[in-house]
Amino acid sequence: MFEMTHEMAAPSAPLTCLIVDDSAFMRFHLKRLMDAFENVVAHEAANGSEAVTEYARFKPDIVLMDIVMPGQGGIETVKQICEHDPSARVIMISSLSYHEKVEEALAAGAKCFVAKPVTTEQLRQAIDRAFTASA
Amino acid sequence: MRLDIVKAFRDSTGEMFAQIVGPVDEMAAPAMHPTPLAGRDVTAVIELEGEARGRVIFDMDLTTAMRLAGQMLETPAPVMTPMAQSAIAELTSMIIGHAISAINDQGTHVQMEPPRIGDAGLACSDICFETLTFPVQTPFGEVRVNVMIHDLD
Repeated sequence: MFEMTHEMAAPSAPLTCLIVDDSAFMRFHLKRLMDAFENVVAHEAANGSEAVTEYARFKPDIVLMDIVMPGQGGIETVKQICEHDPSARVIMISSLSYHEKVEEALAAGAKCFVAKPVTTEQLRQAIDRAFTASA
Repeated sequence: MRLDIVKAFRDSTGEMFAQIVGPVDEMAAPAMHPTPLAGRDVTAVIELEGEARGRVIFDMDLTTAMRLAGQMLETPAPVMTPMAQSAIAELTSMIIGHAISAINDQGTHVQMEPPRIGDAGLACSDICFETLTFPVQTPFGEVRVNVMIHDLD
């Protein structure tokens, strides 16, 4: 079970999440992993521009963001989201995990980075780090 | 062709299969062919850009693709649905992404495009050139991996 910490402490408030990935499978898979935690509401976006719109609409607690997507990629999308909301908790989730790319993602505003394939435990730790970083 | 790059793709194929769907049974040594070996039912193509331009082509028969997708979805895939296709595309994307990460960390700057998935016709292209192919035997069937890279240096 996901233990809510930091600002998530209100037990009745759901953890809201925006899953951004062009892959329908990855959106399905990440939602499946998130379902392992209690009281999660997940929204989805299939590309960068959709993610910006959905973020503004839902203001989710966390964003799970892919990097390689057709059109606007994940790095540019994180920049746009963080320009409007510097407190956004974005977790990059990508198989592109080389040093330069990780640094680029963090410089764009991501709170942490997880390499695919991601496990439930890695996701739990990443969410905790994102909340810690924004505390 | 840069053999260190081909090795990165081969190593990543073994590692990612093991992490995502389970260990492979056997991975043959790469063999050179004048064009890709890719005429089976399900084909995934990933374009590479940067200091090593080219493409990687995965091909497999329909049964293998449905078995792999079923394993990833944790439910049998009796037909090749869009979700099953997406699972296969993501499997290939993670393999290539992992390899590209190793290649970049070694100092060669390479980027990838999102995978395209389709039937055997997808592998046909006017840019086909010399290819290193290594078949991968998995518990779900055989997957062929074709690596085509132009050396720019």
